[in-house]
Amino acid sequence: MPQQALTEAVYYILLSLDTPLHGYGIIQNVADLSGGRVRLAAGTLYGAINTMLEKGWIDALPENPESRKKEYVITASGRNILKEEYDRLKELVENGKGLLEGN
Amino acid sequence: MRSVVHKWFFIWQLDKESLWINDMADHGYGLVKGGRITFEFDDVEPGKYIYSSLFLKGNGYSAKNMEFYRFLEDMGITMINRINYPGTCCVYLRALKEDHPNGIEIYSDIDSKIAYESTLMWYLLFLVFFNVFAFLLNFNSGLRMAGGLSAINMFAAFCSLTLVIASSVYFFKLLVRIHRLRKERQIHE
Repeated sequence: MPQQALTEAVYYILLSLDTPLHGYGIIQNVADLSGGRVRLAAGTLYGAINTMLEKGWIDALPENPESRKKEYVITASGRNILKEEYDRLKELVENGKGLLEGN
Repeated sequence: MRSVVHKWFFIWQLDKESLWINDMADHGYGLVKGGRITFEFDDVEPGKYIYSSLFLKGNGYSAKNMEFYRFLEDMGITMINRINYPGTCCVYLRALKEDHPNGIEIYSDIDSKIAYESTLMWYLLFLVFFNVFAFLLNFNSGLRMAGGLSAINMFAAFCSLTLVIASSVYFFKLLVRIHRLRKERQIHE
């Protein structure tokens, strides 16, 4: 079944969770990765995290004793989804290249 | 020092209420309790905090909403008060202004904004129908009864009609906002 496109926010969240991160860390990392272009609000992030937890793309880790914040990390399933999305985006870029850079 | 202020805000005047609460905070009064009609403030450093409020589905003390508050706390956003209504609750949030200089934004994606505005819209529709029913009931009673009681019924009918008109205006504003968001959704995320 062809994969549906991920939103930019979900794509960046999955990229960020290559290493365990808490919510605020995710927001900061996504902003850094996107050069400040993608800003995640708390409610949006909360909804996305819950959806990805349900789908098994990420795992919730026990509360970090130092920061006392809940952390999340990408799963093998999440990495597969991320890879598929990366391949889809590459296809978009390649298809656009000929038309937009070829002239 | 605790200060108590009585000020009326209708349920659809969330933005206006937030503006006033933040103005109070800029003058050194930080909201600690209350909302809608009665507000309690403590002395705070002027301009240190920023406040916002929003509606959530369900009871303000439900396990699901309590988990959301804990998540917000990790973001440096504190839930300081909640008011329950039938099927929904209004929560008041506080954060450091230096962390949220442009306001406490809860939803940044179009789908969540549409979902949130739609929840408000359906709740407002419920209020409209409830007040239409109250208006008809009181107007009918006011016409049928003799003596002073009919004046009370007619006054109640007038109040209900005023609420119907006011909430209908805001209902249609929400409808337009949702329509614009849906159009935007067709092009962008």
